[in-house]
Amino acid sequence: MTADTTATPATGPRTLARQRRRASVARFWRQYRTHRAGLFGLAALVLCALAALTAPLTVGSHVQSVTDAPGAPLESPSGRFWLGTDQFGRSLLGLVVWGSRVSLLVGLLAAVLSVAIGALIGITAGHFGGWYATVMMRITDWFLVMPTLVLAIALATVMSRSLGTTVLAIGVTTWPTTARLVRAQTLAVESRPYIERAKALGGGHGHVMTRHVLPNVMPLVLAQTTLIISTAILAEATLAFLGLGDPTVVSWGGLLQDAREAGAVSSGDWWYLVPPGIAIAVVALAFTLCGRAVESVLNPRLGVPR
Amino acid sequence: MKTHDQHGRGRSRRPGRSRLLAAVGATALVLSAGLTTPPASAAPRAATVADARAAQGTAGAQDSAGSKGSKGSKVLTVAVAQSVDSLSPFLAVRLLSTSIHRLMYEYLTNYDPKDGHVIPGLATSWQSSPDKLTWTYTIRNNSRWSDGQQATAEDAAWTFRKMMTDQGAATANGSFVANFSEVSAPSPTRLVIRLKKPQATMTALDVPIVPKHVWEKVGDFSKFNNDKSFPIVGNGPFVLTAYKPDSYVRLRANTSFWRGAPKFDELVFRYYKDQDAAVAALRKGEVSFVAGSPSLTPAQAASLKGQKNIHVNDAPGRRFYALATNPGARARNGKKFGDGDPSLLDQRVRHALFMAVDRRTVVGKVFQGHAVEGQGYVPPRFATYFWKPSAGQELRYDPAGAARLLDEAGYRRNADGKRVGKDGKPLNYRLLCHATDPNDKAVGKYLQEWWGKLGIGVTVDCLDNVTDPWLAGKYDLAFDGWSVNPDPDFVLSIHTCGALPATPKDTGATDDFICDRTYDQLYARQLAEYDPAARAKVVKQMESRLYDLGYMNVMAYPNAVEAYRTDRIRSITTMPSAAGNIYGQDGYWSWWSAVPANSGDSSGGGTPSGVIIGIVAGVVVLVGLAGFLALRRRATADDRE
Amino acid sequence: MTAEATPALVEGAAGPGSTGRAAGRAPRAGASASYLRYVAGRLGGAAVSLLAVLVTSFFLFRLIPGDPVKFMTGGRPVSAQQIAVYRKEFGLDLPLWHQFTDYCGKALTGDLGTSYQFRAPVLDKITEALPNTLLLTVTAFVLYTALGIFLGTRSAWRNGGAGDRLHTGLALTLYSIPSFWLGLLLIIVLSVGVGPVPGLFPTGGMESGGTEGFAYVLDVAHHLVLPVLTLVAVEYGQTLLVTRSALLDEMGSDYLTTARAKGLRDDLVRRRHAVPNALLPTVTLIFVNLGRTVAGVILVETVFSWPGLGGLFYQALSVPDLPLVQGLFFVFAAAVILMNTLADLLYPLLDPRVGR
Repeated sequence: MTADTTATPATGPRTLARQRRRASVARFWRQYRTHRAGLFGLAALVLCALAALTAPLTVGSHVQSVTDAPGAPLESPSGRFWLGTDQFGRSLLGLVVWGSRVSLLVGLLAAVLSVAIGALIGITAGHFGGWYATVMMRITDWFLVMPTLVLAIALATVMSRSLGTTVLAIGVTTWPTTARLVRAQTLAVESRPYIERAKALGGGHGHVMTRHVLPNVMPLVLAQTTLIISTAILAEATLAFLGLGDPTVVSWGGLLQDAREAGAVSSGDWWYLVPPGIAIAVVALAFTLCGRAVESVLNPRLGVPR
Repeated sequence: MKTHDQHGRGRSRRPGRSRLLAAVGATALVLSAGLTTPPASAAPRAATVADARAAQGTAGAQDSAGSKGSKGSKVLTVAVAQSVDSLSPFLAVRLLSTSIHRLMYEYLTNYDPKDGHVIPGLATSWQSSPDKLTWTYTIRNNSRWSDGQQATAEDAAWTFRKMMTDQGAATANGSFVANFSEVSAPSPTRLVIRLKKPQATMTALDVPIVPKHVWEKVGDFSKFNNDKSFPIVGNGPFVLTAYKPDSYVRLRANTSFWRGAPKFDELVFRYYKDQDAAVAALRKGEVSFVAGSPSLTPAQAASLKGQKNIHVNDAPGRRFYALATNPGARARNGKKFGDGDPSLLDQRVRHALFMAVDRRTVVGKVFQGHAVEGQGYVPPRFATYFWKPSAGQELRYDPAGAARLLDEAGYRRNADGKRVGKDGKPLNYRLLCHATDPNDKAVGKYLQEWWGKLGIGVTVDCLDNVTDPWLAGKYDLAFDGWSVNPDPDFVLSIHTCGALPATPKDTGATDDFICDRTYDQLYARQLAEYDPAARAKVVKQMESRLYDLGYMNVMAYPNAVEAYRTDRIRSITTMPSAAGNIYGQDGYWSWWSAVPANSGDSSGGGTPSGVIIGIVAGVVVLVGLAGFLALRRRATADDRE
Repeated sequence: MTAEATPALVEGAAGPGSTGRAAGRAPRAGASASYLRYVAGRLGGAAVSLLAVLVTSFFLFRLIPGDPVKFMTGGRPVSAQQIAVYRKEFGLDLPLWHQFTDYCGKALTGDLGTSYQFRAPVLDKITEALPNTLLLTVTAFVLYTALGIFLGTRSAWRNGGAGDRLHTGLALTLYSIPSFWLGLLLIIVLSVGVGPVPGLFPTGGMESGGTEGFAYVLDVAHHLVLPVLTLVAVEYGQTLLVTRSALLDEMGSDYLTTARAKGLRDDLVRRRHAVPNALLPTVTLIFVNLGRTVAGVILVETVFSWPGLGGLFYQALSVPDLPLVQGLFFVFAAAVILMNTLADLLYPLLDPRVGR
């Protein structure tokens, strides 16, 4: 939001805008509330976020220590270790909670990167048009047809194994849909008369794009972000599972990879395999539900069940 | 020096080298075993395979690919994690492929399964001339190719000559013939090899001898993969009848094999990319044997141990699992390269690092008991050469002592508790690890914490392909591991100055760029020592020197953990036979000796009835679902009307 | 799946994205000449895309750390001269641009080079694995498309009902599950067997080997069940959701009300009128899906040891076996491009409003 905090008379245009925005947020929330699935997703997300944020207090970073591991290797669930232990004897419950930090962080960052690229290209292409738009949309189309997973694997292979690489590989491969959506929205916004007026009043490109177009595409961008986070979390798990993640940090995908490498699948050590997978599925689902709810509030035609 | 990890995935950073190693490693065997050995001492009782149907192993032609394993035929299915790189013996370097070549083609010599000494193969005896430059082999007259022709000395001569003259044919085994000056076959049973200079590995030429009359038609050896026409003509215990990339390799027993026919009628190597899938397949009986790559995980071994009809073979390993330290990479011409941390040149630092490594925990937690705590360079399985540090010399696990050593060496802690190097920056080592090896990653975590407590930072650098940074000397520490042969010559040779690359641009035989004059002198001495006991003594001195240098210290000797179904395989020869491994032996003993169990049918793969039940069940469910939905639809449609 | 768009996202993409593109630029006049022009444009675009893929695959994979020569020599002691010989043999001594033009020239004649690790033409390796991948993906594709359309139609028709919620919820849930994880679970439950459940299906691979004729077909079908089940489970949701929303869009239309007012039976209205029209936008998605499934099957192939392109790609990356990696990347991308183009070409023919 661009509203600044300088005190202005109650009737100032800024205040007006702020009021209008607050009202629209309230309206949005009223409509969002009617989507049961969306609420469920939101609740799940809040829980996960809380668990991730409070992890240093609840489980502490020492859960990932192998030398101080409290249990024996691959213990099955018990009163002491609710989800059993991994091959080092670390508590799996603690690891899943701790792993949520990395998984959520990577998902979030990758989605932000993806949407940022998408929004930037979408808005500029929509605003400037002409050959610039043609070139940009050509590139977008081209990325759109690239096999995302293959490209992400390739990128992750090319670069060193780190969280940054994962974020980049996901971000760079998932932006095109956003770019297309944002461009379409930008074109729609720019065809409105008030943009004409803003331009006539001497508003430059930057002014139009940041002050008028951006606020209007923002809801769409937010919906996209929510949806892409779900994709990104799955992608992070996939890359980690293929052994392309950073092996030194604890993440859900990494846990699955560890479980597989330890031979948990054929040994019947389901407790090593099931919790991280469920965690991934729940968070991915929650983000998808939220995203769909947001989308349907913005565009009721989609007919998402309430 | 053959092991799972030497090929393809695994610890090896040098996949292709193992065959050479096997050859060099057998040197001493030659020396000690003498030139004549009791023929076929290991041969089983005359094989009486009930199934005389295919008595002529030569009738292969019509019995082509997936012969429908006629009723009652005994099939031994082996799960492998590697895919075949090439079926051409001139190109193949992977363990699976070379093992298969062992089964398809007879080599001049073989190794006794009991203790690994050299025994006759295609050659029944051999002798060298007084000037040590001419070797004469007597080729057996009872070995036939599977198309009926006699295998002769000319086949062997042609094989070697081809490798000497055709660059493409020298791809995999060229090193064996590099020192040959001339090869001839004066008679069908006499093979004469002239050498440029004496070579002691002449009874360890691990080169598959191929039939000349088939192979002389091949055009470009560098492109020919030997996978177009089946069955492939050979004279080993098995004949390859079918191959599908990334799926399976099928071999049929060669009933006219001179040493006696294998007990199983068919041997199938099935490819499982995923080790869990392979273990599951073993549980279900889809396969009869699983080797793991390079070994079953502790969890898998534990879960299989209690199972009915499954035997877990947890044999003392021939590998060592070590921590290598970059001693400052350099070439023979004196040029230094790479970027190893200078602080590691201080012996006290290396000792301190190793003293902070709790080997007991590594064995107990990472290998979960499927390994032996590391001591000297050669694993205890090779008792002759096994060496243990003396009490005063041992770098016992002692973090406090390690910290003292570092203080002494001048690497003191700064305000943050980090140890500071001479350049004033905190010490932080890069630890090169194989991304495909779970043990590397696991031990890496421990090292990070143990050394972290010492105040030393560690960046675990896990790569798919560690060869590049390694050969370029761009590492500080690394996980290293070799499989040791009964004769340790090779694993000792890779730490001599002579093994360094000639220039930084070349690739040397060196493992870790170690170059130490004392060690080199000892190495030369053991090479010239023909008395086994005296030689062992020198080798132990070398191990002691290596231990003290601290560039290469062994953390553990991992076991070979593999499993098979006892309701399929009644007995199978391990190598060494007392307690040894089954997959990846120096020879064809395991598969050739395996005796099928009587119970049940031993066909690999899901039984047809299982297939049919599965499909029928699937179809029933689908039809039922569709019918149910259709009915519901009809019902609701009626309701609405 | 994974890195691909979520269902709702693709709905968006299918709107202003590819479908919109097709609709927007498709000839509106009835003349077939304009359609031909359109076809030429689409094909030209596809060719440009393919060329771009060729360029990317060449340069992207040059960045992979690792010296192919060092791999080929397997770390054996080799002299600098020998290394030079190898470099020359594989054309690695030439300047990059020269290598590139060579590569492009050969690629145009169908020669994708020689694999470093298999010492066989890349094209051979690909044609060896392609049928296996196609068998898996096409089977799964047919099933999940049929299932998705069927359930999507039903869901939309009973919008908001219990069945709709159940199906949508299930589809979304399955869509959020990592496919490799589902595959592993299926192996544990249906292949290894849990408790009283016997292991019904093979754990991996495509065939047991040694069978012929009908037995062979049965054997392959048996091996196909679990991987196909995994793919169908994670993929059908998308088709379901798109079909559903397309049909919901359509159901507001006046002509349906008219049809119903005429007294047509409800399911007839649905089958004859609403569904065919609503399926039009789905067509694009279906084709795009097929292309994507080919590329996205890597995971399932890895989990089930399926001898297809995905496994080959993974093997090739770790070397790096540059010619093979490039070739496979090209094939994956080409599959998507081909299917997209096909969708674009078919769309105007199917939709009378857009078509001729």
